Amino acid sequence: MTSMLRQLAACLVAMTLCSGIAAAAGATAPDNAYLYIGWPNDGEVLPANRPFRVWFGLRNMGVAPKGAAMPNTGHHHLLIDADLPPLDQEIPSDRNHIHFGAGQTETMIELPPGTHTLQLLMGDHNHMPHNPPVYSRKITVYVK
Amino acid sequence: MLIRAVAALAMLVVFGTLAVAGERTPAPKDAKVYIIWPPDGAVIRGGKLWVRMGIRSGGVAPKGVDMANVGHHHLLIDTDLPPFDQEIPSDRNHLHFGGGQTEARLEDLPPGKHTLQLLMGDHQHMPHDPPLYSEKITIIVPPY
Repeated sequence: MTSMLRQLAACLVAMTLCSGIAAAAGATAPDNAYLYIGWPNDGEVLPANRPFRVWFGLRNMGVAPKGAAMPNTGHHHLLIDADLPPLDQEIPSDRNHIHFGAGQTETMIELPPGTHTLQLLMGDHNHMPHNPPVYSRKITVYVK
Repeated sequence: MLIRAVAALAMLVVFGTLAVAGERTPAPKDAKVYIIWPPDGAVIRGGKLWVRMGIRSGGVAPKGVDMANVGHHHLLIDTDLPPFDQEIPSDRNHLHFGGGQTEARLEDLPPGKHTLQLLMGDHQHMPHDPPLYSEKITIIVPPY
């Protein structure tokens, strides 16, 4: 019984270590990669009930759809009203973390009236942030 | 007589194009390719600039990635659109962005007027069907 528990513990430790190793294995990104929100500007006031375009700026790196494992590429994720997720895990996929796995480089969104934040984060072919992670400045927009 | 010959030639060209066009990668529906920056008529001092390449309703993928609704950017400088039924040429007037880049750095534009136009290529550097190209814009580099 004790030996079984010990085996189980060893197994758990091994799994943790393995996932640690896997987590560190986000695809490498160029050191000079630069990700930014081309529009809207930080502090932009946007009319309510009207979709607006967000365009994704990326320099010194390329875009690839999810699943295409090519060097120095990734796909965009738009974080809405969210902080950066853990950078050693798959980027969540929900209404605050929008994936652009088809290689899109801009989108239209509509937000309810209020103050909102937008930030971009690149993910690799496995939706993992790169090493080093490539993310934009977080901007604030006001929907009125 | 001459008119008939011209008409026959035109039909030949049209049918020839259609026949080849059948083998080309279909373009994403409603996709639009455009130059986000610079605007038409921009004056670029020093001849150095980043060209921001935009696509709506479509995605970007590096060359060699054969997926639906994607392509990679080609920046045509001081040249007209090439034939759509052939591989896009690769030279200093036809810059390929096969790494999935969405911005192009130009460093050596001499003083004078220059034209810029985008043309998407598929995984084999062939234009899509129908071809996806931007308006052709003109920029002016003043004497250094």
